[in-house]
Amino acid sequence: MRIAAFLPEILRHLFKKPATVDYPFVKLEVPKDFRGTPFLHPELCIVCRACIRDCPAEAIDILTVNEAEKKFKMVIHNDRCIHCAQCVESCPTTPKALEMDHLFETAAFSRWDLKKEWEYAKAQVKPKAAAGAPPPAEAKS
Amino acid sequence: MAILKTLLYILVYPGLIFLFVYSTFCEWFDRKIYARLQNRMGPTHTGRWGILQPVADFIKLLAKEDIVPDLADKRLFTALPVFGIAAVSTAMLLLPVWHYDLSQPSPNSFSGDIIVLLYILTLPTLVFFLAAWSSTSFFSTIGGSRVLTMLFGYEVPLFLAVLSPAIMAGSWRLAEIAAFFQHRPLLILPNLIGFIVSVICLQAKLERTPFDIPHAETEIVGGTFTEYSGKKLALFRLMTDIEMVVGSGLIATVFLGGFPGGIILGFVYFVVKTLFVIFLLTLIRALTSRIRIDQVISFSWRYLAPLAVLQLLVTIVLKGFVR
Amino acid sequence: MKFTVPIGPQHPALKEPISLRMTLEGEVIRGVDIRLGYNHRGLEKLAEEKTWLQNIYVTERICGICSHSHATCYTQGVEKLMEVEPPKRGISLRFLVAELERVHSHLLWLGVAGHEAGFDTFFMYTWRDREVVMDILEMISGNRVHYAINTLGGVRRDIDELQKKKILDSLGILRRRSEYYFKIGASEPSFVARIAGVGPLSKADALALCAVGPTARASDIPQDVRKDDPYGVYAEVPFEVATATTCDVLGRVVVRVKELMQSYNIIEFLLKNLPDGPVAVRAPRRAKPNEVVSRYEAPRGENIHYIKSNGSDKPERLKVRAPTLANYPATVVMLKDGYIADIPLIFAAIDPCICCAERTVALVDGRSGQESVVLMSELRRKARERWKKAPPKKDAVWPF
Repeated sequence: MRIAAFLPEILRHLFKKPATVDYPFVKLEVPKDFRGTPFLHPELCIVCRACIRDCPAEAIDILTVNEAEKKFKMVIHNDRCIHCAQCVESCPTTPKALEMDHLFETAAFSRWDLKKEWEYAKAQVKPKAAAGAPPPAEAKS
Repeated sequence: MAILKTLLYILVYPGLIFLFVYSTFCEWFDRKIYARLQNRMGPTHTGRWGILQPVADFIKLLAKEDIVPDLADKRLFTALPVFGIAAVSTAMLLLPVWHYDLSQPSPNSFSGDIIVLLYILTLPTLVFFLAAWSSTSFFSTIGGSRVLTMLFGYEVPLFLAVLSPAIMAGSWRLAEIAAFFQHRPLLILPNLIGFIVSVICLQAKLERTPFDIPHAETEIVGGTFTEYSGKKLALFRLMTDIEMVVGSGLIATVFLGGFPGGIILGFVYFVVKTLFVIFLLTLIRALTSRIRIDQVISFSWRYLAPLAVLQLLVTIVLKGFVR
Repeated sequence: MKFTVPIGPQHPALKEPISLRMTLEGEVIRGVDIRLGYNHRGLEKLAEEKTWLQNIYVTERICGICSHSHATCYTQGVEKLMEVEPPKRGISLRFLVAELERVHSHLLWLGVAGHEAGFDTFFMYTWRDREVVMDILEMISGNRVHYAINTLGGVRRDIDELQKKKILDSLGILRRRSEYYFKIGASEPSFVARIAGVGPLSKADALALCAVGPTARASDIPQDVRKDDPYGVYAEVPFEVATATTCDVLGRVVVRVKELMQSYNIIEFLLKNLPDGPVAVRAPRRAKPNEVVSRYEAPRGENIHYIKSNGSDKPERLKVRAPTLANYPATVVMLKDGYIADIPLIFAAIDPCICCAERTVALVDGRSGQESVVLMSELRRKARERWKKAPPKKDAVWPF
């Protein structure tokens, strides 16, 4: 039991730089595998709807714009997204049509500002389901 | 002319405006050093180095809604913060600041004013107890009873420790005590035990860690201040800050030799010496954790009071040799 | 003269809402009445509406601090149901993250204990060092809380050599700081005066009231699921069960710091002996009708998940027994004859994770205050009637 056991340590801290990061004037880097918000590469999507099936928060919707020309519209509801990246994992194409970016400052004034949309035509690529040589990705847009 | 001078004295320096400015500066100093000791930043963005943060807090509290509980004693509840500020500001008038020293004493200085100062400094504790009592909420009542229980612990060692330099100087007048130690600076050293005891007791009077039991946040939600909000809470916090300035000014006068040298030099001495005492108070605050109320009483009567008596004995023995 | 004081549901000492009605006599506590249910979210019902894969994320969000323990406990059980054996590298990575979570949880707890005692400097220092662990976890899994590194059949991400080296370097820093905190926490006189002799729980009481985790281990009961019923990688990893004999809050602090040091050893062992190979195997979509009980040693104690399947792609029933629920009866005994000033410390010493433990036990009618216990079958009947009248929801439909 020593009186003032902490004293040398806290006096030393008077001369050290503070450990606080002065956000938002100084920003910290995020690591390369950080899970931000999901976004789509429209030219790779084959509309298999695996992402919709596996999303725990029902945050992805694919609507049919034109049945004959195979035009679809994907809406990602970022206000419902829980940033788990399960959609990225479930996507069967190579390279993956869905990807996570590094954005985390996604505050908005209204939830309708957080929906992202893409209109595209379905890509003519075979789904990559098992290990093996990847087929060449021929995307027609 | 004399009336104008008195008004200047009461309102500007060392009166209300000076106290407001200086006590918010001292609160900033305390918070910044506390944060740096904990490897954090402290107030940074309000004004340069965050100096205006306590003023910003005060103004913010003034603008908030002021709620008086239904069961509370309304007149007592409302009058207490004002009474507290009046008490501590009056205490400030007795310290030998401005350019008064022994050759031209201030009109407030008289023989025995150290006793009056210590008495007036007891009034804030009574104000805290009455504030808790008039709030009639359960948490305030426990806080109020703890305030009084702590008073039994630290008051006696504080009085004994502060009065021993007075005995050595042979006078009960603050200006004379300060002048005595200015002429014989080496005699500050035998008073070291008393200095340490009085700094610890001042920490208890100000209700800061390790003695912040009366308004322990994690146990009783706010203790004395649970039901206070808005302007009244702003005045209570200002009162605590002014009490810190007055308490450290008293210790600086009695132990560290006062504030000699005229208007400018005296003011500089005042700032430097009070900031030194406040630095020690912040160090104690960062170093320890809160102790229980029964442990406060046993600590003060087992360690602080005997040390203060020891200091008194040392003073009496030395006085025989000095005279 | 006795009077009743409510601590909570809103109180600065509690991080989450819970109601403790204390019966006091002066400053001494004579009795406690614990009321739960303020944080109930209906997660067990939600789990019946989501597929096996989606439920990993549901169970992960039962709690923030022990999120990986719930997700792993669930995933272990479902892998048993589906008869899927994850590869060795996947299991090692899964429990590497589990031990890192134990480190972060215990550092958090040390800070909270310091804050409840008024020792704010200690609080700031331990949380500053916890940032090192959070940064490692962000590097491995992509997020600081809710790591989501489990999947049915293994883990989702792999670690490379650079990440391994970074983790080993940070371990050195963490080990030095943890030893320093142990020394300080045990020798700072005001802190020790607050926690020694406070909240006593004798060994017989702890056994009778089924206390779990560090609360039981501080009363000299060497009970640890990792040793009693080894799961995953713990049969091969050498470590010791940390116990203390003082049976009070100081004992619980000592047990948690000892567990911290053991976790550092386990992490180093796992990193140095990481086997090669894939990190996950394919898991089927449906599970055969069966039931399984999965146990896991969370940072707070023993976590039990009961999962029942009926052949479809959604669970029939998921029941969660969090460790804090088992420690509540022990808290009542610990608080008796204590002081008011000790309430936050005693309650914080069981490391309460109240949101983990919110599974309704008794129903109280809001208007009349009547308490009743409702049968599970009765609840299901009422819920089924209500859902029949609700609009149809989107179901997961198979295209293949």
